[in-house]
Amino acid sequence: MKAKSFTKTDVKHQKVLLIWAAIITVYGIIFYYVPLVGWLMAFQNYKPVTGILHSQFIGLDKFKMLFSDVAFLRVIRNTLAMGIINLVATFIMAIVFAILLNEVASKGGKKVVQTISYLPHFLSWIIVAGILHDALSASGIINELLVHFHIFAKPIDFFAHEKYFWPIVAFANVWKETGWNAIIYLAAITSIDPSLYEAAAIDGAGRWAKIKNVTLPGIKPTIMILLLMNVGNVLNAGFEIQYILGNGLIQKVSQTIDIYVLKWGISQMDYALGTAAGIFKSVVSIVLIVFFNNMAKRHGEERLF
Amino acid sequence: MKKKIVSALLVTTMLSTVVTGCGKQAGRGGAVNADGIKEFTGFFAVPGNELNDDNDVQKILAEKTGCTVKETWLTGQTAEEAIGTLIASGEYPDFIEAGNGSVQMYEAGALVALDDYLDDYPNIKNFFTEQEWDSLRQSDGHIYWIPQFSNIQGEEKACEQNDEAFWIQTRVLEWAGYPKIETMDEYFDLIEDYVEANPTMEDGTENIPYTILCDDWRYFCLENAPQFLDGYPNDGSCIVDPETKTVIDYNTTPTAKKYFEKLNEEYKKGIVDPESFTQSYDEYIAKLSSGRVCGMIDQWWDFAFTAGDAIKTAGLDKEGCQYVPLPITIEKGMKNQWHNSGGVLNVSSGLAITTSCEDVEGALQFVNDILDQDLLNLRLWGVEGVDYEVDENGVFYRTPEERKNCADTAYKAAHLCPYSYFPRWEGTSTDGINATRPENQPGEFYDGLSDNLKKCFDAYGVETYVDMLGTTPPPGDWYPMYTFSQTMTTSTPGGTAWNKMGEVKHEYLPKVVMADDFEKGWDEYMKVYNDCHPEDFLKEMQEELDRRIEAAAKYK
Repeated sequence: MKAKSFTKTDVKHQKVLLIWAAIITVYGIIFYYVPLVGWLMAFQNYKPVTGILHSQFIGLDKFKMLFSDVAFLRVIRNTLAMGIINLVATFIMAIVFAILLNEVASKGGKKVVQTISYLPHFLSWIIVAGILHDALSASGIINELLVHFHIFAKPIDFFAHEKYFWPIVAFANVWKETGWNAIIYLAAITSIDPSLYEAAAIDGAGRWAKIKNVTLPGIKPTIMILLLMNVGNVLNAGFEIQYILGNGLIQKVSQTIDIYVLKWGISQMDYALGTAAGIFKSVVSIVLIVFFNNMAKRHGEERLF
Repeated sequence: MKKKIVSALLVTTMLSTVVTGCGKQAGRGGAVNADGIKEFTGFFAVPGNELNDDNDVQKILAEKTGCTVKETWLTGQTAEEAIGTLIASGEYPDFIEAGNGSVQMYEAGALVALDDYLDDYPNIKNFFTEQEWDSLRQSDGHIYWIPQFSNIQGEEKACEQNDEAFWIQTRVLEWAGYPKIETMDEYFDLIEDYVEANPTMEDGTENIPYTILCDDWRYFCLENAPQFLDGYPNDGSCIVDPETKTVIDYNTTPTAKKYFEKLNEEYKKGIVDPESFTQSYDEYIAKLSSGRVCGMIDQWWDFAFTAGDAIKTAGLDKEGCQYVPLPITIEKGMKNQWHNSGGVLNVSSGLAITTSCEDVEGALQFVNDILDQDLLNLRLWGVEGVDYEVDENGVFYRTPEERKNCADTAYKAAHLCPYSYFPRWEGTSTDGINATRPENQPGEFYDGLSDNLKKCFDAYGVETYVDMLGTTPPPGDWYPMYTFSQTMTTSTPGGTAWNKMGEVKHEYLPKVVMADDFEKGWDEYMKVYNDCHPEDFLKEMQEELDRRIEAAAKYK
């Protein structure tokens, strides 16, 4: 396709749109690109008193320090592990939930379930963590039930064992986000042409066959796009929940890159090291997104760019 | 069309105000408000209670000094996080108490050097001796902050054990007939016996025999007891041998091993609360407030003003749920130093004025004014005739009604204004009669006690918390060493080791206490601990110890 030239009349017609576009661009530059100047800190022996302009440049020393720190390698592992577990769990649950909800015949019931299920999305992580901490404590409801039904002889302290932490975080994510994430799939399902279902019914397809052959292929582009977007977010495995639910005993599995950045960048006031860790996170996210986008392109699937 | 452009313009101007209007809470620099009162702001990197805007005493103080300070406190962050964020933003309140971040504030060039001003403000100048002022000088030779507390005037009056101790509820002691408890073994035996005989409280709530607070920096409740058990005072991060003047690591002493082995034993018996290592500070305070916890190690200030007041308000003092300290050491007959007399000059932090303050003279004048005895009485005792009474001999006392008011948080927020993180005198007032604070006025202190405490003190033949432990003078000029370790950063090998040691202890001490096989757990801990190079830390501590002894010798 040949690019059309942009004439003066076009400009006149699209004046308002252009103004809006300009505003958004300025917004983007101010809030997304200008702060990137701060990345310079990672290559400096940054001191607040000398500032970004007069601090001494030290090249990649901070990055070397970062990757020789066992604790940093550990937080990368934790972040990746929790990110992937969360991604898989919330992603699959949302699709399953949307399809199941779609099969509910009663319109009123469907609305009620949908509303209730996406309400937790609006709770802050602080509250969710508080509820979890209470429910899972030695005298909490979960332990009461487990002991009452003789599944365990005595209460177990879920936050004292490393093996429980990742599942707890994944469960919290599923509980909080499933309903919300399902909305987009529900919308995609409603846009599927009803005649396809009728045709399938005439061909003798039951419920299961309809889901498999009509619904799932129908929402496949949506699934691909969302998967791509979420893969880029894998390293944003969370901050609040790990920060609040973590404790000294399980710090080896609970700390994420964000907590590491906070600890070194703010608490220890090594702003340079904190920035370096942040840069690492951004770069990995970009690499991930480009990689999976290309993979999708190669397989002829829907993609972001 | 025109309308749309106008609204588009409006949006852009709004955006730019968002960009420029980010700085909040910045110093007002003593701007004068409508009533002709200078307004300052202050941030204190410790948890505290905010006062109501129309606080009565604050108003009186404002009339007398012409200044008022809007105080904000630490909420939901650590001091380091709060200060790190402030430095990153570059905007500060007028007054600041930066806690462990003080040195960082100084290094960031955020504080005003005070030494040139001091001569003009006699109350501040006389607050410390020349030697003490010199010990506050930073690497550039200037003074940047004024430590607020533990500066004793006249006779020292101490009733509260404002330090760390093994605490126990009076009901446990009463049940056992007020026995003499001197060692950890006796302490835990007593609790075990008591809980066996009384598994629940009067209302049927299950007793918690012993809990350990382990939340973030508050894990000192688990970690630093070995120094006290060996009969040393709270140097905080190491033991100093007063004979040889050498630094000893209390984490690896035989006493430390015995202490954790005892905790491990008690944990297995179910005496140590299984939630100890996962509970948050709030949950811990809630537990204590319910009166269920028979004993624990803690600092007085860490629980007395929250859980302690709550126990009283709920009437649980009648059941004997209030705490008294016990003089516990590792062996019988050792001298304990849980309490030291004399003020501890904590040189590592204090009240400072930031470069955001535009009226440094005004700010210092305010600090100077509120050190006057009349204003100190207003801050620490309240209003005469409303919060305290004066008898014919000039002795201050409070009526039961006034005492109740002063323990009520709502009343405190609306009426009292102690400016608690501004410098103040401890000890005796300039009148030579009264303690500077009601908490330390012997008559007032004893009259204000609940019956269970009076009975307990009477049984042991003592009158105050401090008498339960006995008093020892500070061991030497270096004391306390924690004022140095608090300022360490990861820029030195010692500081890095200190940081790593803290992390390892946070993880392994709970593991050691919970271990099925203590010996194996301890060996594993020691291995990881030694990998942190504690010797780097101890070396820097020893250098500081030598430096302090040398510096003090100049004034002798």
